[in-house]
Amino acid sequence: MSSPSLALISSSTLIAQGAEAKVYKAHLTSNHLEPPVVLKHRFQKGYRHPTLDGSLTRARVAGEARALMKCLRSGVNVPGLRMVDATEGVLGIEWIEGRSVRRLLPAGSNEDEGEPDSEEKPEREAADALQEYGISVEVLMQLIGEEIAKMHLADVIHGDLTTSNMMLRHPTSFNSRNPNLSTELVLIDFGLSYQSSLVEDKAVDLYVLERAFSSTHPESEPLFATVLKAYEQQMGKDWVIISRRLDDGLLCLHARYLLGTNCSYFSASARSQA
Amino acid sequence: MPGRVCKDPLKNPDRPYLALGLEGSANKFGAGVIKHSEDGSTAVLSNIRHTYVTPPGEGFQPRDTALHHREWALKVINDCLAQANVSIRDVDCICYTKGPGMGAPLQSVALVARTLSLLFNKPLVGVNHCVGHIEMGREITGAQNPVVLYVSGGNTQVIAYSQQCYRIFGETLDIAVGNCLDRFARVIGLSNDPAPGYNIEQEAKRGKRLLSLPYATKGMDVSFSGILTATEAYTVDKRFRVDGQPRDPNNEDFITPADLCFSLQETVFAMLVEITERAMAHIGSKEVLIVGGVGSNERLQEMMGIMAQERGGRVFATDERFCIDNGIMIAQAGLLSFRMGFETPLAKSTCTQRFRTDQVHVSWRA
Repeated sequence: MSSPSLALISSSTLIAQGAEAKVYKAHLTSNHLEPPVVLKHRFQKGYRHPTLDGSLTRARVAGEARALMKCLRSGVNVPGLRMVDATEGVLGIEWIEGRSVRRLLPAGSNEDEGEPDSEEKPEREAADALQEYGISVEVLMQLIGEEIAKMHLADVIHGDLTTSNMMLRHPTSFNSRNPNLSTELVLIDFGLSYQSSLVEDKAVDLYVLERAFSSTHPESEPLFATVLKAYEQQMGKDWVIISRRLDDGLLCLHARYLLGTNCSYFSASARSQA
Repeated sequence: MPGRVCKDPLKNPDRPYLALGLEGSANKFGAGVIKHSEDGSTAVLSNIRHTYVTPPGEGFQPRDTALHHREWALKVINDCLAQANVSIRDVDCICYTKGPGMGAPLQSVALVARTLSLLFNKPLVGVNHCVGHIEMGREITGAQNPVVLYVSGGNTQVIAYSQQCYRIFGETLDIAVGNCLDRFARVIGLSNDPAPGYNIEQEAKRGKRLLSLPYATKGMDVSFSGILTATEAYTVDKRFRVDGQPRDPNNEDFITPADLCFSLQETVFAMLVEITERAMAHIGSKEVLIVGGVGSNERLQEMMGIMAQERGGRVFATDERFCIDNGIMIAQAGLLSFRMGFETPLAKSTCTQRFRTDQVHVSWRA
């Protein structure tokens, strides 16, 4: 192992692997009392020409780091940046102690969609789990809406909003500044993110989340209205045009392109009442 | 889904079934006869194709292509039946391409199919071209439930089966990958015989230099028009040498047509393999099937093979007989739906330029 980043990876534990990258838990120093970090390694793809592969990896790691920085500066809850090695394709980010929202909502624990999760612990009841975090499902939905709105106000588009890509910090490892809230919602995995101020991009981001909700948490689907309500409050005047775009038939066309589904379009009137 | 075995609703036939398939959605006219036996096996009795080849630098126009199909239809169908050694009276149904494709050529073929149907009193089955490709690919390779990459001159889609529907996971946002390659072949004056894509592939083998081109994937979607423009722009670069020889023997910095073909192929194929891999990770499949004309490109098959190997899976591909548009795939997909009781009544035996893969009810699969 020539590069220090790769040496670090070889001494860490693999926790997940997706199509793009392998995710490790690592310690940056020899002091294991310090909090660990997450290393996301975009490994080399054998099928790609090495030159092309190198430049793509560099651009993507840098892009992800840039999106995280932009979010951090704008006060969006995302993992802190710990290290960037664009040449080797390694991104080090803060280790979040907690759980993904997908596992905290009912019907979120069966593996019918999404990348394989590494945690294989048998699931406790989702409601019990949420109680542990001291919030109700409604509050959780509100937090989701607020966080996404904050991100969109910073002109960052996540590109892959699902409940797997949101986490709640565990109360025991989190010092909340808000006395009414013992936890915090954190958006993770900015691998497909990009910067845009276009209303359409924001609307598509929301639409992708709604699709993810209805497929992974069919029971919680009505609660999505709470997400949008919180989003609306946080967004202020921008909401009017975004909601119009969401209702627009244009999005239907776009969603067909983006999601490859024949749009059995969600009811526009139901949304405007929400 | 791995571990879950469902029985296909399609029963083995009580007698042998024969179907004639007619295809002509682009510049190939194809006819084929397929046989489904009582034991569930399938045999290709004949598969004949005639391609409309235009001079270098020119594409095929709908009107001229339709004319070509009308000229060749009867000869190809006669040859096809003779080779299969069956009479048209023996076939159970006549399958034709309903869409998607070019309007005029589709209409010519639908007309031939309708005429045959009336003359010999045979039921008609309208077939979705993309589903034809998928079903033939599955039949030839034996792939069970693969992620399908369908790449041709008119279509670019990543498809997976779910609940009696071939769902599109990702696709091109503008032009098809084959269209991108063909149009670039036109720009540098490559021959259209046997196919512009084939000549690009041969030319690319001599390319050495990877030039920087845009790389446009977005989630599971891709876009090619910008890449085509960027590659074309290199042909007016002052370093570009049409003859592939440097102006000055000491000058190493020059670009040849082979370099451009190489760079174009490497870039667009990397994009295709990337979105296919993403779809495989998404649905947890380890098999990938490549169909469509571009699927006969060996470099694409090689890249897909490396990706599949890295994931512990495998790639299925066919050769030009079944990759490039042909009549037998229409016969195969048509006969499957015919055996499930599907027929297209004469009054509805139209064709359409827009017919998405996911609009078809795949009744013959569980």
